Amino acid sequence: MSFWSRQRYQRTLFLLLLSLASARGVTPTPKGCVVFQSEKGSSISCHPPAQVPRSLPADTFHLVVEFFNLTQLPPDILQGASKLQELHLSSNRLEGLAAEFLLPAPGLRVLDLTRNALAGLPPGLLRASAALETLVLKENRLEVLEASWLHGLKALEFLDLSGNRLRELPAGLLANLTRLRTLDLGGNRLEALPPGLLRGPLRLERLHLEGNRLRVLAKELLGPQPDLRLLFLNDNQLAEVEAGAFRGLRRLDMLDLSNNSLASVPEGLWAPLAQRGRDMQDGFDISRNPWVCDQKLNDLYRWLQATKDKMFSQDDTRCAGPEAAKGQTLLAVAGAQVDLLRLQGDGGGKKRHGPGPGVWDEGSLVHGHWNQCPVWLLFSLPLPRN
Amino acid sequence: MGDAEAGKKIFVQKCAQCHTVEKGGKHKTGPNLWGLFGRKSGQAPGFSYTDANKNKGIIWGEATLMEYLENPKKYIPGTKMVFAGLKKKSEREDLIQYLKQATS
Repeated sequence: MSFWSRQRYQRTLFLLLLSLASARGVTPTPKGCVVFQSEKGSSISCHPPAQVPRSLPADTFHLVVEFFNLTQLPPDILQGASKLQELHLSSNRLEGLAAEFLLPAPGLRVLDLTRNALAGLPPGLLRASAALETLVLKENRLEVLEASWLHGLKALEFLDLSGNRLRELPAGLLANLTRLRTLDLGGNRLEALPPGLLRGPLRLERLHLEGNRLRVLAKELLGPQPDLRLLFLNDNQLAEVEAGAFRGLRRLDMLDLSNNSLASVPEGLWAPLAQRGRDMQDGFDISRNPWVCDQKLNDLYRWLQATKDKMFSQDDTRCAGPEAAKGQTLLAVAGAQVDLLRLQGDGGGKKRHGPGPGVWDEGSLVHGHWNQCPVWLLFSLPLPRN
Repeated sequence: MGDAEAGKKIFVQKCAQCHTVEKGGKHKTGPNLWGLFGRKSGQAPGFSYTDANKNKGIIWGEATLMEYLENPKKYIPGTKMVFAGLKKKSEREDLIQYLKQATS
């Protein structure tokens, strides 16, 4: 008996009869799940008050089971669903997963487990998931990660571990994820990162580390990923970015260092970004840091003057010191300071640091904000203008 | 009134992975969003939506986007969009302000 025709995109809402592929016989799935039929197969979407299906038609390619009070999935729920491509299980209360639960679905491309209560994954859960491209474990209860959980994920491009309780990461976590493009570790409790975290054949484009407790950006961290395009380090406790941390980042187009504890940065830090001859396309943000606006930031001032139209949160990027500069925007100080350095010329009192001539096109510098409150400069040299 | 500059940063951080905004921008995992405001859900030309999204039948505007972006999976059950949503009202306001400018 067939309840529905096989027309494209026909929507049905009633009891679903299983195909006879299952050795357990025909089992109707519960009332209330929405089923869409197409030439791709069955797309099944279950939300309360529907019941969670205990088994699926053999042609299921897309399954959504969300917003249930479910601490465990029915065992063998994926039995026979060999065509499954996407599995959306967000917003349940899953506390554990059976180690073999994904074995019937080796073609799975997307697994979304956002907002459950998982404290870990059983060993071998993902061992047959060589086709998995997207794995989302956002907002679970992960406190530790074992690198072995991710073994076999050779197609993985997108890994989201944000919103968990991770304090540290195992070495070699990403070692064999050759296709990984995006890694989201935001909103955890990471205080430090293993220095070799990004080593390996992966080709990372996007790295999210916002909302953690990092205190230092180590110089070797980013080196292995020269094609990194977007880097989010905002909302940490960064007091130090080591010299050379940005070396080799030829494609960086977004850098968010806002809301940290940076008072200063080492000389030459910005040089690799400045020397590329192109701006960061998506912008950068260094606001909400306690910047001490003295001559140690000369490199930064020059870079800001050259790239300020890509700068987010300009009004929130201010000096916390020294006393004379307190409360000024970095751009105002940068403008005045760069002008002063030009007027001093190369024979001026202080040796110029940073990239050599030809990189900073002085003709393109915009004059400082003289129409604003006078900016106190921090040397004993008199201001050239009042 | 949301801050479009802040919204742009939110877009880059949370949306640009899967969406473009400019006219003629490509579809990625999600549809290009040009022309979003005033359009019925599931109608960006050339994108393969789930039936859940196509059948939602609402018009995108500030109010519908405020609700949607808080919890996309709740608003459009069955969507394949893997995005948990923006809890903070101010972030949604900022993002919507940016989208208003960037998609029209």
